[in-house]
Amino acid sequence: MKVIIAGDGEVGFYLAELLEKEYQDITLIDKQSEKLAFTENKLGIATIAGDATSYKVLKQAGIKNADLLIAVTSVEPTNITTCLIGKKLGAKYTIARINNMEYLVDKDTLDLRNLGIDELVSPESLAAREVKYSLKSPVLTEVFNLYKKDLYMMGVRVENDAPIINRSIAESAQLLSNSSFMIVAVLRDGKTLIPSGDLVILKGDLLYFVASDKGKEKVIQYAGKKPIKIKNILIIGGSRTGKYIALRLGEYYNIKLIEKNLETCNYLAKNIPHVQFVWGDGADIDLLEEEKISEYDAVISVTGNAETNILSSLLAKDHGVKKTIAMVENMGLFDYSQKMGVDTLINKKMAAANFVFRQILKGRVLTQLYGIRAEIQEFTIKKNSKIINKPIKEFNFPEDAIISGVIRDGKGYITLGDFELKPDDTVFVFSLPRSVKEVAAFFK
Amino acid sequence: MNLIQATKLGTLKMIFRQIGGLLIILGYAMAIPLVVSLIYSEFYSATGFLFSGLICYFIGLLLHKNIKTTTEPLNRHALIIAAMGWLSIAVMGALPFIIIAYITPVEVAQQFVPSTADYQSSLFYFRNPLHAFFESMSGFTTTGLTMSVHEPSIGKGLLFYRSLSQWIGGAGFIVLALAVLTQSSGKIAFLLYGTESSGERLRPTIIDTARSIWKIYLGVTLFSFVYLAVGTYLILPEYNLTEIIFNSINHAMTGQATGGFSTFDDSIAGYSSRPMEILHFLPMLLGALSLPFYFKVFYDKEFKQIWKNLQTCSIIISCILGSLLLSWMLSKADILAEPYRDGVFQYISALTGTGWQTSNIHAWDAPSIVFIVMGAMVVGGAAGSTVGGVKIIRVLLLFKGLFWHINSYFFSDNSIKVVKFNEKRFLPDEMNRELAATATFVFIYITFVLIAAFITYYLMGPDYSITDALFESATAQGTVGLSCGITHPGMSPILEITYIIQMWLGRLEIIPVLILFRTIFLGTKPKVE
Repeated sequence: MKVIIAGDGEVGFYLAELLEKEYQDITLIDKQSEKLAFTENKLGIATIAGDATSYKVLKQAGIKNADLLIAVTSVEPTNITTCLIGKKLGAKYTIARINNMEYLVDKDTLDLRNLGIDELVSPESLAAREVKYSLKSPVLTEVFNLYKKDLYMMGVRVENDAPIINRSIAESAQLLSNSSFMIVAVLRDGKTLIPSGDLVILKGDLLYFVASDKGKEKVIQYAGKKPIKIKNILIIGGSRTGKYIALRLGEYYNIKLIEKNLETCNYLAKNIPHVQFVWGDGADIDLLEEEKISEYDAVISVTGNAETNILSSLLAKDHGVKKTIAMVENMGLFDYSQKMGVDTLINKKMAAANFVFRQILKGRVLTQLYGIRAEIQEFTIKKNSKIINKPIKEFNFPEDAIISGVIRDGKGYITLGDFELKPDDTVFVFSLPRSVKEVAAFFK
Repeated sequence: MNLIQATKLGTLKMIFRQIGGLLIILGYAMAIPLVVSLIYSEFYSATGFLFSGLICYFIGLLLHKNIKTTTEPLNRHALIIAAMGWLSIAVMGALPFIIIAYITPVEVAQQFVPSTADYQSSLFYFRNPLHAFFESMSGFTTTGLTMSVHEPSIGKGLLFYRSLSQWIGGAGFIVLALAVLTQSSGKIAFLLYGTESSGERLRPTIIDTARSIWKIYLGVTLFSFVYLAVGTYLILPEYNLTEIIFNSINHAMTGQATGGFSTFDDSIAGYSSRPMEILHFLPMLLGALSLPFYFKVFYDKEFKQIWKNLQTCSIIISCILGSLLLSWMLSKADILAEPYRDGVFQYISALTGTGWQTSNIHAWDAPSIVFIVMGAMVVGGAAGSTVGGVKIIRVLLLFKGLFWHINSYFFSDNSIKVVKFNEKRFLPDEMNRELAATATFVFIYITFVLIAAFITYYLMGPDYSITDALFESATAQGTVGLSCGITHPGMSPILEITYIIQMWLGRLEIIPVLILFRTIFLGTKPKVE
């Protein structure tokens, strides 16, 4: 599979990094050759310096035989033009990064697919969507949908008073008995563990669950959390992400947004209804206290600076805010910020990359989670498979991998030890990178 | 010749050229009552219209065609043109009244007086040029105060001319000139358009916008005509059919222009029929709605505007609440036989600035008069319509500003206190600018009303009170046209001139006239302090 990526920005680099592990043939196009040199060194992929909207550059990149063209520069018109030209020059599938929400909402007006763009992706709006989900279940660190309304994947941090602390998973098994949720991974000290029955849960562990819709509540109970309700939100930073969050959520929550730049602040104030805007520095403690940060249920920090975001979140935590969300683009800071107590992290490029992966790879690797180095894979059980009609606890399943849910006849099921697989089941497997190949072999 | 003089001369040339254009149109417009006079065999009136029309046309042609100008127009020029233009129109528009009053023999004029009545034809009041000027100004500014004591006695031709002057004045002379005389350059057209109307651009070019405005205006008027004609025929079948048509045309024009001239001696009360009064609610209301609003509903098919448009909704709500309140006040005072019938009609007539009268307002109690002045005549209808007053949108803006000001004390210091008004969101700076402009205007407006009320108080007859003086002053400035009787051919000439100035000010929203005075007395140099 030949992939061309236009734009060596954060999203482009991250996509290249992910795809490079899976596929051989990646070409990265960007105008800045210094940037490309860095990427070439780091990832060992082919790069071309030039404008992605030029015929010559695209042809040079081998557009004729490209299976996939991803245009993710920060300039929207460039992305659209690149995809239009690329499609005409032979690319089989094209994805363009956009900023203008109208294109996403009113897809039919232009019929972009007919013009030559197969998929649109807007990192900021995906990040805003994650924030929206996260506010719906605020005690969870992250939630995403695995399958329809049946299966969710979610993370919960274990705190002091949880009944499961210092007990092994097997010991707390009676709490699991209603088969509406299961533990699939534990993140401890920056290391990802795939749990076995004798793993003891410690204070500060971040547990990842797969749960049914009903199981969501149970997960919260299991981890010893009380459900909270979010009403008042403080957003720090009027970045594009902040703007989308305000636009999306303004009607449903009481929102106050703090922005440093007066011009930006005025522009947003003029255009976004139902949101109160404050001009000031979100990293200024006096200002945050003046704006009564402690009265907010949630603080969302989405300035362009990850350190500021983490700091504001910690400050908010300190003032008793129940839910803090920080945008952290620097992935090196994930582990620390989670450990220090930021509830939820969002990351535009990961959101965008996950979205792109889901679109193009349909099943192979479903998603990447924040902070944990594990993957979800998807397999279909063959008719004559040796593993059917047998409880899964009797399998000789690879280590560091766990079966974490099944789709059968269009419905999702949680797979505890007694579950038996049937032909044509679709199985989700959660595994560490080193077991990925073993798992694939197991299902063959 | 030095440079300053050259520019001044250029400016004058440009102003006169534009006024010439207006006069040409006035000349053409006089051809219509000429035809009406001929239909009714009023040959003296026809002659009067012919001569006045030709005079206007040739003066206009002289100014418009012979003056070549290269001066770049500025905003103040447009405002001066508007002020001077309307004054010239009113002066020249008085010609038919004077000429016809002088050339019509007494016995011919006496034939206009209905056979049942016994009075002298009111036509002869117009031998006094001031009365003719007053009538003309009252017509073109859509006021409706009148010097013809007994309307029917001036002849059909002049009656029609009065209604027509209101109708043309309603949508605006300058807008008409822009629509007809296409040679105006883009910039001057844009500037001029802004002086007379809401300045809302409906089409990409101003010429097209002006044409659209006139099309809508004509359309709504035709609708009113059919509505009134059919309605009158159904309610009063025994009426003479040609009379119905003549009255309906006139009332459709003066209703749409919210002018208020009537073809009857005692306005709409002349029908002496309650259903006929109810029938006339709609034309008044239609006239008070903004023309851009019609445009959005009928051309752009934005039907949700009907209940979403702030001005339209506020006018309808004010009509309902205000008329009930006024009726209640009148019934408390216990003076009138039918307080609700009079209260509702008079409130709508006052708010929409129409000025059709069914009640003897002189007899009202003081609270009711003050209420109708402050709660209806000063407020007026929608900006972008033909009404006078400060316009309902400005009143709403001031109230919104007050709430915003109070509310802002509850925000933290660094908050951006955005305010939403009429579907638009304003930043504090923008809102303060809007508020300052609006408050200044409303302040000047009320100041002028009060000054004129005092002038009235010292010059009016002994039968009237200070509330009557306030009422008459507000009606002139708001171009409403209701009268409690002070306006009369026998009134003091100074008072008459005061009202003429007030009507002129009211139609142009004051500022252009002040700029004209500033230019005359202080020149065009900016005052540096």
